[in-house]
Amino acid sequence: MVARVAGVLDEKLAEAIANSKILVVGAGGIGCEILKNLVLTGFPQIAIIDLDTIDVSNLNRQFLFHKEHVGKSKAQVAKDSALSFNPNVNIVAHHDSVISNDYGVSYFKQFNIVMNALDNRVARNHVNRMCLAANVPLIETGTAGYAGQVELIKKGLTQCYECQPKAPQKSFPGCTIRNTPSEPIHCIVWAKHLFNQLFGEEDPDQDVSPDTADPEAAGDAGASALTSEGTATGNVERKSTRAWASDTDYDPEKLFSKLFGDDIRYLLSMENLWKKRRPPTPLTWDNLPGKDNPPTQHTGLPDQRVWTVHECAQVFADSCKVLKADLKRRPDGDHLVWDKDEKSSMDFVTACANIRAHIFNIPLKSRFEIKSMAGNIIPAIATANAIVAGLAVLRAQTLLKGNIESCTSVYLRPKVNHRGQLFVPERTLTPPKPKCYVCAPKPEVALACNLKQLTLKDLNNVFKEGLNMQAPDATVEGKGLVVLSSEPGETDHNNEKTLEEIGLNDGCALLVDDFLQNYEVRVRLQQEDDEKSWRLVTDTDTPMLGPQEDKTNGSNGAKEPKPGPSRSKEESDSDMEIVEEDDGGVTTKAPKRRRTEKSDTVVELC
Amino acid sequence: MVENNEIELSEAEAEQYDRQIRLWGLESQKRLRASKVLIIGLSGLGAEIAKNIILSGVKSVCLLDDENLKEIDLYSQFLAPPDKIGQNRAESSLQRARALNPMVDVTSETKAVDELPDAFFTTFDIVCATGLKQEQLERINNICRDSNKKFLCGDVWGMFGYMFADLIDHEYSEEIVQHRALKRGPDDTEKSARETVSITVKRRAIYVPLQNALSADWTKPELRSRLRRGDPSYFVMKILLRFRDEYNRNPDPAKRKADTEILLRMRDELVKELSIPVGFISDALFMDVFGIISGAAAVVGGVIGQEVIKAVSQREPPHNNMFFFNPVKCVGFVELYGQ
Repeated sequence: MVARVAGVLDEKLAEAIANSKILVVGAGGIGCEILKNLVLTGFPQIAIIDLDTIDVSNLNRQFLFHKEHVGKSKAQVAKDSALSFNPNVNIVAHHDSVISNDYGVSYFKQFNIVMNALDNRVARNHVNRMCLAANVPLIETGTAGYAGQVELIKKGLTQCYECQPKAPQKSFPGCTIRNTPSEPIHCIVWAKHLFNQLFGEEDPDQDVSPDTADPEAAGDAGASALTSEGTATGNVERKSTRAWASDTDYDPEKLFSKLFGDDIRYLLSMENLWKKRRPPTPLTWDNLPGKDNPPTQHTGLPDQRVWTVHECAQVFADSCKVLKADLKRRPDGDHLVWDKDEKSSMDFVTACANIRAHIFNIPLKSRFEIKSMAGNIIPAIATANAIVAGLAVLRAQTLLKGNIESCTSVYLRPKVNHRGQLFVPERTLTPPKPKCYVCAPKPEVALACNLKQLTLKDLNNVFKEGLNMQAPDATVEGKGLVVLSSEPGETDHNNEKTLEEIGLNDGCALLVDDFLQNYEVRVRLQQEDDEKSWRLVTDTDTPMLGPQEDKTNGSNGAKEPKPGPSRSKEESDSDMEIVEEDDGGVTTKAPKRRRTEKSDTVVELC
Repeated sequence: MVENNEIELSEAEAEQYDRQIRLWGLESQKRLRASKVLIIGLSGLGAEIAKNIILSGVKSVCLLDDENLKEIDLYSQFLAPPDKIGQNRAESSLQRARALNPMVDVTSETKAVDELPDAFFTTFDIVCATGLKQEQLERINNICRDSNKKFLCGDVWGMFGYMFADLIDHEYSEEIVQHRALKRGPDDTEKSARETVSITVKRRAIYVPLQNALSADWTKPELRSRLRRGDPSYFVMKILLRFRDEYNRNPDPAKRKADTEILLRMRDELVKELSIPVGFISDALFMDVFGIISGAAAVVGGVIGQEVIKAVSQREPPHNNMFFFNPVKCVGFVELYGQ
């Protein structure tokens, strides 16, 4: 017996609730609140999924968790806490990623409503597609700081999560990072790349050495003198940074001299770069600014004090030592993963970013500030989460009563609008975009690329990065010929072949399918000789994402090992994204105005 | 006024409050840590407010309630365990309230507000009252006013809710984001690059006591014009407060039919009394005013919690002076009454 007291809810609603089954995806700040509201209201059957574990920084808002739960499964602890509010409900907890064969279309079909309380775009895209495929209404939520929103997604009736192209992640040209940084963030990105080069997963796109292929440096006398060392890709030919560091046994002084001395002198030799810029100043290990400075008076958190360059060098040396030891303890081939909440990782990035900033005359930042930027932290508070989760569950009740038409999106504004409104509902549901490449009856998109250059491996990336697929299969339309298979090994032998070599040409159409997402899209190929990489084009001519040169955070959806309700430790700790609740890695991107024609709310949607 | 506590935050505090310090800054967190809060009424709304304030990291919270836990409370009151039915609501809530944040000193008081002396209320920096009658609210508001202590009150009936704030003469700082053209190197080809800078400004807001807000004069043209724009929530609140004053209870789900009739009759009286257009306050507004629905308690408790945080941290513009949540439209808005 769930409805305890007759007459609190109207009869129709009480009955609908008694027969309902709800899936909550994410047990972070919003997820905890949603679960509490559902349980108290008497929703009898609830499933909750979250792959994350509890962190101390969650405790200021994820109120189902206490200090003694740190390190435990969010889904499991949330379930146990919520049951103490109402032991008569049935809650199933999954400590798992929602992106898994275990949660296929038939799994989603068993629920009356799915409620998203996620912190990243990859998982949101995925649940969006699962709910479209299963034709289950999805209530999508998010907060960022004081702001937030609740939105209903229902196949054929409303926009889907992917109808509006999302703002791309902020990215920086490689040469800005490697040669000519001008803002603190450039140095922070460089420092995170350096971490990966030395201790993490080596990625050729995250080179930290001077880039001699910088177009600006072309014809440069200094660089031309050094071309014998250069390669076509612009990297200075030598051992990998990791191998070199390992040979020196990660000797901090030697590393320092190379990274902040030799490499800077090399950059100085590329004279064209410094014609209109203030040239950088190479540093030497035993003569660093701030060495003899008396300790300055500081009020505020210790982390909010900006270190001197001398201190940075000390921290650099200490953190190198710890990280080296950590790496050595691991089996061969294993690597560290950068984590803003891991002390030495964060110390290393702070120190390196600031030393480089000093070299390039860029203002130094405190560890506290660098953590926000490097970790893409979205501030999160209990009250905004409580409000958004409350609105979400009220919307779910309206939905169960059968009034789907009145379940319009609601925005929580950080400050009241000109009409004094703090929660602003839309007047009507926003209809689906007819040309949406996800929810249109026959989704279609054009891929502009140079078929003579784009390889099958690149094509796989297009589907994963550009179309948010997890495991794409592609066949040639009309021929049934399998071009790309998600089965390991089946088409791998063609990976390095260009699309032309595989026999694909201009105007050719591929049927691309993701079995897990139950999603199929027709992709028309458009030959463009000048296209260096690729672009996806929808008929509505809104530009879609292309590949990204560089990323402010160390990962993207495609590389993410196991995206799910909560991001991996690497870049977030929790719950939000659309405007998401917490640090959602992918989410801090340039805020975008969503549906500006109807609402004056600016919410960050990712 | 909350004294800014100059003692630095401990490492444990910095860690636990990290995500909110990044939003409202260290100064606000220090002010929060120095403030003493009284929460009156441990219904579902009181529990929501308590949760939000305890999580934020204030110095102390006192839970005041002389009522016992009833079955109907369990629809929204998550601090008191279900097996404590029949016991005092404040005391029953203590254990879970403390577990939310062991760094906050949480206590309970089981006396009725009418038995407590004026001096009791002024030992707190801010008082947050729920579930009281108009007369009781006005008494506490006036006590607070005389000692320059901040006062908020609010209620949730079913899915409907309101909040009132009297922050007296409130000084606060507000961060304003400005856009300005970004000066770059001459070689920079990027056009119209702009940077945003935030500056902090000091502001002041003057509030009126509750009796002024509740006796707003609807014959005045500025209020008449509000009728045209049209949300009847203020009147719904008036009617529900009157019901409580007159019957010494809230609308009872066990008497749904009879109580709805009373409410509609009271509505008709108010319409006449204030010459409000007939039909302005629809019947539908009184369908969901029974018990406290968890989602609505979360929404209104979230707003009240945030207003307490704004008030004691003196940061960001607080709402002046009434907030309403109208569940029919799912709209939440702020209006100024009594000035």
